[in-house]
This record gives sequence, structure tokens and C-alpha cells, in this order.
Amino acid sequence: MLTITFIFVGILLVVFQTTVTMFTPLSTASPDLYYILVAFLAFRLDVVRSVAIILIVSCTLDVFSGTIIGFYPLLCYGGYFLIRFISIKMPVRESLYQLPLVALSYLIVSLLVYHTLDFLQPDTLGAWHWSRILLRAALIIPLAWPLFRIFELLYSTLRSKRYRINLFSSSSGNQFRDKERLL
Amino acid sequence: MRKNRPRQSKERRYETFRLFLLSGVGLTLTLILLVFIFGSQTYSPLHRLLFWGISPIQKGASAVTDTVVSFKQEYIDLRTVREDNKRLWAQLEQYKEIIDDSREAIAISVRLQKLLDFKEANDYPTVAARIIGKDPSLWFNNVIIDRGTSDGVDSGMPVVTGAGIVGQVYEVSTDYSKVLLTIAPSSAMDVIIQNSRERGILKGTGENSYRLNYILKKINISKGDYIVTAGYGGMFPTGLPVGTVSKVIRKPRGMFLEVEVTPAVDFTTLENLLVILRNKISFDDARL
Repeated sequence: MLTITFIFVGILLVVFQTTVTMFTPLSTASPDLYYILVAFLAFRLDVVRSVAIILIVSCTLDVFSGTIIGFYPLLCYGGYFLIRFISIKMPVRESLYQLPLVALSYLIVSLLVYHTLDFLQPDTLGAWHWSRILLRAALIIPLAWPLFRIFELLYSTLRSKRYRINLFSSSSGNQFRDKERLL
Repeated sequence: MRKNRPRQSKERRYETFRLFLLSGVGLTLTLILLVFIFGSQTYSPLHRLLFWGISPIQKGASAVTDTVVSFKQEYIDLRTVREDNKRLWAQLEQYKEIIDDSREAIAISVRLQKLLDFKEANDYPTVAARIIGKDPSLWFNNVIIDRGTSDGVDSGMPVVTGAGIVGQVYEVSTDYSKVLLTIAPSSAMDVIIQNSRERGILKGTGENSYRLNYILKKINISKGDYIVTAGYGGMFPTGLPVGTVSKVIRKPRGMFLEVEVTPAVDFTTLENLLVILRNKISFDDARL
């Protein structure tokens, strides 16, 4: 249920971004909302579920955007594992530091993915503009906070027993083991 | 008894006098009235005096009446003005909405008229499409349109507006298609300079401009020259407007000029498009 819901949320974010926030085909001030979901998954969800959600969302992005299949999976997985790595290594785990971290990781991953693909497939990508990418990264910060709150609300609601579906496993009677399995 | 008799005769005389006086006055007035009625029908001095004397009073009375009536009316107006104000504001908002709708309808009409003009001016079979999604990335330029294979759209088909070429169908599903815009860096097409008929390759820049490649330095090209599709290879029909030359740079080194082209189509206001159903007709046949 949790995975399906977050896949649905991710697809909604992609649809929202490709229709509402893109006023013209050349709009630059359109925040990459899907990346905020990727960041949330890195902070809150386990790897298996996150990988499944990101796969569907990034493939949806590949459908609606770009000419290189695999561009968005590379960007999303790169961002996911970078954030996950930094968040594990980072001594401070307050949400105040998480938001700039999301923007920073977006900047780093974009830079790496862009230059890798530009090297492998020249004349396929548009020119790199620092001003535009910084604007996109900056837009992520104010939007990450409300979206994180919404995702957190969804997450906590779906984690409650009412929405938990255990099709293949029965309760062992050991609450600690059940909890471990969920995590 | 003797004392009362002279008193009674005195009273009788007085009454007789009063009767005469009253009759005289009545007769006089009757005469005056008859003179007024059957006379020259012009104001006598008395009339003028009355007219002059009473009119100011009439004026004053009228002013007072007017003031009272006006005050009453203003009071009533004040009582209703709030409701009128509300109603008028609501009407104003309603009319504003109508004006906005009308403006939008005019804009749509102009756009569709351009598409219709293009359709009528060219014999190519086309299908009208609407943009439903735009590429959110900074490095690609695609749009999603609401036409697919069920409408006869196939990959490789050219997409245009009334102003000129927009792009090419890149991927298709049954009801939707992905269009690669001509301004995308991965887009390239054969074009010719309309005046000199010289050929070049037009590349997208990812911005709202093109770069025209392989134009030899000896070729006479200047700002404002029209660029149209060449039609080689049958990918695009010949002579579709592409843009105008905006900058020509002659570098001392190299064989070719650096030419910048401004698109004929305004990519910032793209909404309605036409997909040319290329497979239904041979462009070479159409040219002949």
C-alpha cells in the first residue's frame, strides 16, 4: 500500500510539473518536485521500496521528458544514494539541515549526470547554465518543507495498522520481529 | 319705550348702509371681473404687482420644497446605495470575466485561424493537436500532444503552426505523441536560404534560437534573410518557414560562417499545432 501510494504520488508530481508549473516549453523556473520525493524516500523509506518507487517515477519522467532513455533513472538513483549516504554519515539529523542537503545533492547529481551524458552523447543536451540550475536547486528548498510534511503525513497514516496489508506473512506473535520486517 | 324707538331706526339705517356698501363693492368687483374677462386679456398693473410680489415667495417655497424632496430622495438613495454598490461590483466582476473570456476566445480564434490558413494554403493532410504537457528538464525540448496512432499520427511526422515548423513526432502511443521541438539540441534539419537558395543544416540550441551550420563564407547572407525547409529526404515539406537570420559572424579562421537564426514560431506561446500526415502523401508529388 505504501509503495503503491508513493508511486501514485510521484506520478502526480510529474504530471503536475509537466502541466501546471511549465508555463511554456522554455520555462526555467519550474521546481523539480519529483526530486523532493526522491529525497524523502532516501530519508524515510527502506531501500527496496524506494528503488521500486523511483524506478516507476523515473521511467514516467523518461516518457514525458528528454530524448535519452535512462537519464532520469540515473539522476534519481544518483540523488537517492547520495542523500542516503550523506544522511547516514552526517552527524546532525535535524530537518533544518535536510532541506539544503536536498538542494545540494540535486546540484551535484545534475552536474555529474549532465557532464557524463554530454561526454557520451555530445550535441544531445542543451547548454549548461549555472544560473538556471542554481535557480532550480533554490526552488527545491522552499517547496521541500511543505512536501516533506505531506509525505510524512501520508507515510505515518499508511504505516498505521489500518492500512497495513500483509498478504504473504502472518503475524508471528513477536511484535519486535514484525516491526523489524516493516522497517 | 320712547328711548328704544330712535335706537331701532339708527340700527335699521346702518343695516341699509351696509347693504348698499356691500352691493356696491360686489357690483364693482363684478364690473372689474367683467372688464378682466371681456377686456384686452393683458396683465393690468395689479396683475403685474402681484406677479412681481408673489413670485419670490413662490420661488422660496419652491426651493424649500425642492430641498425637502431632495433630502428625502437622498436619504432613500443612501439607503439603497449600498445594495446598488454591491450589485454594480458584482456586475463589474461579471463583465470583467466576460471581457477576459472574450479576449481569450479572440486569441484562440487568431491562433486557430492561422492554422486554418496554413491548412488551406497547403494541400498536405493534417491533424490538429493540442499541447498537453511540456518537458520539465533544462536540457531537452519536447512537448506531449493529444494525438496518436489512432489519429493517423506516426513517428517522424512534421509538426507545424501557422507561423512555421515546430518539430517532429518522436514517440507515439495510441492517443498521445511526444514531439521533439526544432529548437532542441538533438534536432537538425535541412534548410535553404530563401533568396540565395543555398543549403545548410539547422541545429537547435536548446534556447529560443537556431544555429545554421555549413554556410560557406563566400555565400552572401545577411540579417533578416528568410530560412525555409529544404525538403531533402522527404522528412519535412519544402518551403515551410523556419526563421530569419538574426546574426552573421565571420571568423577569420575556418571555412564556414556562424549564423544565428530566430525561429519563425514563438515557442513561448505554443498551444495548438498541426501534425502533417506525411505518409498519406508524397511531398515530392505535392510539389509537382
